[in-house]
Amino acid sequence: MDLSFCLQLLLNGIVIGVIYALVAMGLSLIFGVLEIVNFAHGEFYMLGAMLAYFLTMNARLGYWPTILVVTAVAVGLGCVLYEALLGSLQGEGFERSILLTLGLSMVLQNGAVFVFTTTPKMMQTRYSYSNVSLGDLRVPVMRLLALGLGLLAFGALYLILYRTRVGKAMRGVAQNRDAALMVGIDPRAVSRLAVAIGVGLSGLAGAALAPVYAVHPLMGFSFVFKAFAIIIIGGLGNVAGAAIAAVGLGVLESFVGGFFPLVMVDALAFTSMIAILLLRPQGLFGRGVRV
Amino acid sequence: MLRMRRTVAMAAVAALAFSGFVGAQEASILIGASIPLTGGVAMFGQHSRWGAELAIAEANAKGGVLGRKLEMDFQDNRCNPAEAVKSVTQMLAEKKYVAIFDGLCSSAALAIMPLVERAGIPFVVANASATSIAERSGVGGNKWTFKVNPTDGSMLDALVTWLDKDGKAGSIAFLGEDTDFGRAGSSGLEAALKKRNRKLATGDFFQKGTADFTPVFTKIKAQKPGLLALYAVDADFQNAIRQWYSMGGGVPLTGRVLVDQVPKEIMESGFLDGTTSVQPYDPSVDTPGNRAFVEAFKKLHNVPPILVSFESYEATKVLIDAIRRAGSANPAAIRDALATTKLPSMLGTTIEFDDHNLAHNNAIILTIKGGKVLVLGMSKT
Repeated sequence: MDLSFCLQLLLNGIVIGVIYALVAMGLSLIFGVLEIVNFAHGEFYMLGAMLAYFLTMNARLGYWPTILVVTAVAVGLGCVLYEALLGSLQGEGFERSILLTLGLSMVLQNGAVFVFTTTPKMMQTRYSYSNVSLGDLRVPVMRLLALGLGLLAFGALYLILYRTRVGKAMRGVAQNRDAALMVGIDPRAVSRLAVAIGVGLSGLAGAALAPVYAVHPLMGFSFVFKAFAIIIIGGLGNVAGAAIAAVGLGVLESFVGGFFPLVMVDALAFTSMIAILLLRPQGLFGRGVRV
Repeated sequence: MLRMRRTVAMAAVAALAFSGFVGAQEASILIGASIPLTGGVAMFGQHSRWGAELAIAEANAKGGVLGRKLEMDFQDNRCNPAEAVKSVTQMLAEKKYVAIFDGLCSSAALAIMPLVERAGIPFVVANASATSIAERSGVGGNKWTFKVNPTDGSMLDALVTWLDKDGKAGSIAFLGEDTDFGRAGSSGLEAALKKRNRKLATGDFFQKGTADFTPVFTKIKAQKPGLLALYAVDADFQNAIRQWYSMGGGVPLTGRVLVDQVPKEIMESGFLDGTTSVQPYDPSVDTPGNRAFVEAFKKLHNVPPILVSFESYEATKVLIDAIRRAGSANPAAIRDALATTKLPSMLGTTIEFDDHNLAHNNAIILTIKGGKVLVLGMSKT
């Protein structure tokens, strides 16, 4: 077996795993704090990519300003989403939240088809066709940048959750909403922030991946279902668990795709999820305590 | 009394005028079409619609057919067989359509075939390329389906003939979408190679909507085949071609490579030089008919036609010609007229159906040299 072949598979797997983690962490955070499964999460990823495309290709904004603007817009959109829709669902039943976010997903997806058409678009940047080579190994620059942004986002989220008062408040609300209220934490403000960060991460993922993958209205669909499997494998509501499960899945998919028929890759996330549910229903890193 | 007479006279004039108006405004001949107008291949659906509409507009500008205007009613099937069945069942229940047109996606067309057979209404396939459509038509069982565009099997046979001539058919790997389109490509290529005592080096399939191709490309590069046959469309094609480029390629592409949709930067870099592709059409084909078609299409839509625009344009012309020769809008008469079609194609051949109701038009063999697409030649399918 060629060592460079295995190293290339490992490298590809880590990059795609961090990309999965960017989407999955936001989904996990929202579930952890609000106990809402956001089926529209993939659509915010798609909208982030669409906005990044238009900012760079039409408004001629640079790559880094685009990343900042898209993330800021997504954070704002998260606040609006909470205030307009999710805030009213607090404690109102799981089924309603599923119907609401699923409906929102359909509206956003078909709205994007209407406005942007389904023609796939390719976002071009100065580094779109550049690679970093090390011997036989090659990684496109844009993937490396997405990897860097993913790691940065994970680091920042970790610091917010475990090193700040607001993070402590978020973990408090996730563990016991009523108890958090009794010690003076405003669950509504904390929930709003969690949704804003979650949607912001999704928008960031869209902007970071717009130069890597074709941008089109259906691009969020496949990613979000994989993200659901990842957060179940990692332990529902456990952000760090979701990130580790995402990278693990990315590497596993890369090796399976490298040695076996590619169609097996698509089944991998869900067979792993079923196996985890059978063997360890709380997920790999679930301890009954979320976020 | 006088007033009453005047009223009766006016009523008689009005009645006569109304009956005359109805006679002059005989209902249009209606063709039903089920194509993807939304979903992952909506861009192809849009081009298919534009091609068919151009043929209808040209016929109507010349006075229509049988003294009536033609109309095509497009319904969305999202490239999904279940949606195709739903839309065509609805159209057939209305009993006002003289024929059903297209389906675009092979899986959708295959799902429509039993419906038109039961209803006894002609089905003209313009874009779907699965070989099984022709295998199941004519003497294959379904007398109502007519396939105007070539099958994957026949196109790949033409391509392999070309590749074999240059000694390039020895080691071909296949990568295609896991649909009837991709599966037909794989089996067509295998059959064409088998005829020449050769085998496919490797074969792999991906789910439609796959974003990341890096694992499979890493594997293909390590296997070092002579050529890689790629069967991907739309966003999948864009993702695949860009990732193939960023991984350094190293294996020339072949199969149904959508050379007109390669990003400009990749094409101009010369990275794809050596690619040999087979397509049912290319806008650069230099015939008077094609030049006129490209010009008319560009004038209407500001973009050049792609292969599905051409296929739908020509297939609609075949159907219009059959309605004209049938002398009536009766579906059975149109089917019989379709079976005896002899219509010149813009690609230089005559469109005629064989006993499987399959036309054998030319396939275009394309290559990329110096960052430019060149027509190597045409080969009868």
